[in-house]
Amino acid sequence: MANAELALMAHLIRRAGFGATRDELETCVEQGYEATVEQLLHPELAPVLDEDLLRRYHVDQNSLMLIESSQAYWLYRIINTQRPLEEKMALFWHSLFATAYGKLNHAKAVVNQTNTFRRCGLGDFRNLLLELSRDPAMIFWLDNKDNHKDAPNENYGRELLELFSMGIGNYTEDDVKACARAFTGWTIANADYMSIRASRDSIWPHGRLDWQFQYLPEDHDDTDKTFLGHTGPFNGEDVIDIICRQPATAWFVASRLYGFFVSDNPNEASIQYLADRFVETDGDIRQVMRALFLSDFFRGDEARLAKVKSPTEIVAGTARLAGSHQFPDWSIVNLAMDVSFMGQEILNPPTVEGWHTGREWIDTGNLVERVNASSLEMGNLGQPGVQAALRRVRAAGDALAPEQLVDACLEAVGQFEVAQATRESLVSHAAKDGVLEFGERGSADCAESRIAELLQLIVATREYQLA
Amino acid sequence: MTTVATLQYSHTLGFMANQGRGFNNPVDLAIDSEGMIFVLNRAGPEVGVRIAYKRITRCTSDEQYLGEFGAGGTGDGGLWWPSSLAFDREDRLYVADEALNRISVFGRDGGYLGKWGAGGAGAGQFNRPSSIVFDRDDNLLVADSLNHRVQRYTKEGQLLHQWGEYGDGDGQFNLPWGIALDAGGNVYVSDWRNDRIQKFDADGGHLASFGSSGKGDGQFSRPSGLAVDGQGNIIVADWGNERVQMLDGNGAFLASFRGESQDSLWAQDYFSANPDEAAARRSASLEPEIEHRPEYDSHRGYEWERSANVEKLFWGPTSVKIGPDGLVYVVDSLRHRIQIYRPGQ
Repeated sequence: MANAELALMAHLIRRAGFGATRDELETCVEQGYEATVEQLLHPELAPVLDEDLLRRYHVDQNSLMLIESSQAYWLYRIINTQRPLEEKMALFWHSLFATAYGKLNHAKAVVNQTNTFRRCGLGDFRNLLLELSRDPAMIFWLDNKDNHKDAPNENYGRELLELFSMGIGNYTEDDVKACARAFTGWTIANADYMSIRASRDSIWPHGRLDWQFQYLPEDHDDTDKTFLGHTGPFNGEDVIDIICRQPATAWFVASRLYGFFVSDNPNEASIQYLADRFVETDGDIRQVMRALFLSDFFRGDEARLAKVKSPTEIVAGTARLAGSHQFPDWSIVNLAMDVSFMGQEILNPPTVEGWHTGREWIDTGNLVERVNASSLEMGNLGQPGVQAALRRVRAAGDALAPEQLVDACLEAVGQFEVAQATRESLVSHAAKDGVLEFGERGSADCAESRIAELLQLIVATREYQLA
Repeated sequence: MTTVATLQYSHTLGFMANQGRGFNNPVDLAIDSEGMIFVLNRAGPEVGVRIAYKRITRCTSDEQYLGEFGAGGTGDGGLWWPSSLAFDREDRLYVADEALNRISVFGRDGGYLGKWGAGGAGAGQFNRPSSIVFDRDDNLLVADSLNHRVQRYTKEGQLLHQWGEYGDGDGQFNLPWGIALDAGGNVYVSDWRNDRIQKFDADGGHLASFGSSGKGDGQFSRPSGLAVDGQGNIIVADWGNERVQMLDGNGAFLASFRGESQDSLWAQDYFSANPDEAAARRSASLEPEIEHRPEYDSHRGYEWERSANVEKLFWGPTSVKIGPDGLVYVVDSLRHRIQIYRPGQ
């Protein structure tokens, strides 16, 4: 099997998922690139993650009341899912429609929102915006429960246009006001009681109570509104229809998908290509994603390692590589906290604008955290993924010169693209102990620890920080 | 005229509290010879200050708080994933721990007395012991969940007997959770992933299996704790269906309970001290209409979502215990309380 094919597949799975083991890459290459893309695009054909075991052992992850428990839960899902693109899309929409626990004091409400992203994230964008507008966490987050017929609150209407669909410069202040009025009466049940509980972080008497969407027709402004050049007694659905027909919306969604899935460096022609697919398909995200993954700009050299891995990607990817956390275990919460320490508190983004990505993921503090956490995981010889990598290196020959050893280790973990300088550094380190010998002439324990050390160095490289 | 046994809601014991008067994700309880109730708070996750929320709370069925003991930790006497409690005849309290794979022993005053057990799959080892109960000879029966078996130990930890293996045949298990005895010494095991209850004689001989997978009467979804009342009726926490079911001694369905909790005294005290929150609560509908969203079916199910919304319902019931006065205690773990029922007809 050619390394070029494996490298392309590794690129695809890093972007459309959270990385793959060498065995998984080979399986994907055997079925072919297009078939793998199609499989990724149809997560509904893969089994749902069985959560019963998780709920049984992690009683706190059964109720999802606490933020740490909910973060650990999502990380476990990402590591163990057989539907990688479903989770990746959920993370994408969560990053774009950023809703934070911090204001809500209700972790399950944010988890519920991510479940909507799982269900709708590859579907019709119009439907997604509609679901988002009815989502209790969003209604609470952007104050739409306070958006009344006689006293409109513009927060959601403004962010829907600015941050969720069109982008600033494509609408007027009057459009914002009209948009807000269209969403009056879109609230949550028992808004007063839920607000007082949230404001004082009340968990009493018996823990959190979930939120439900409620439409109050008597609190809806059903008078005429002029919105983006159209006039009528618009409700929220009508406004979303108009938004989805705007070229600015196609460009907005395309640019965000490009930035998340293709490259940290924008490319106007590629974004326009995706925007055109958005328009052609009436905002069918699955079709836009298919076009993205099959495009030359995605498969080509320029997109390779052109993104800095987010903390979630690096932590979950390393766990998948090492084969750790495949069964409920209390330490998953520590792994989730690693993600937070690296600057990405999933379910609790810093603002409605989400996280600053790309190179901003890296600073001196969290780079050390990224390297240490990854190295710790890959240095654990008891993990099945590490053992699988050891077996692959062992199969490369009875005696491996430093260069052979480095190449075998890189290939064993599916890291096919490294700069010459990186490879030379690894070889230089491997050369300190000379040729690695297995069998009677070498100590098995010593060989294993040398390989594990190299695997740890590989996940500490610059290239491993990149997706 | 034939009368059918059932249960009637009596009252609720509990209130969510990280420490002190209240519970935090209780998973089991035990009652000592004087009727004092010991509630096992598993809490979680195992991080930072939350580790301290693991504890054993002492109280009475009429809602008197009597104190607490124990703490999160992995050292002697520490609790990490505590799963089950049982008193021996000398009122010593045994605590199983699924993370530490051991049994810790405490006095009823909370004093630490010792521990035994080790992790593994060999004879005399555990892999996530999920439930314990003392038999008529004061030996300890353990549902050894990941080893798919039941073990019987002396109180000092010497293995006497074991039965079961992985599978779905008679006498086989798939991740058993709860274990209970009837007055005759027969053993009942909730065979969690096989969605059934198995009944054994005192020596582990298979006598019967009750139930199948589903939501209907007499069917189960991942049953957890269970108990047998003085009439031989089996009361099962049907964890995955968020309900409690009552079967007769032959496994025939008698009744089903979805939960009807009302404010405990401790909750009433809270609302007395927070009248604005109490007023907002009074004007709210505590049983909101729940939209059946499509993702519920592919996630954790509609009943789980209903329980997340409607406070009075069971949510994640993990254990059923019967007191000397016949009261039935259902540990309503995700709502941090015990729903107490009276036997009725």
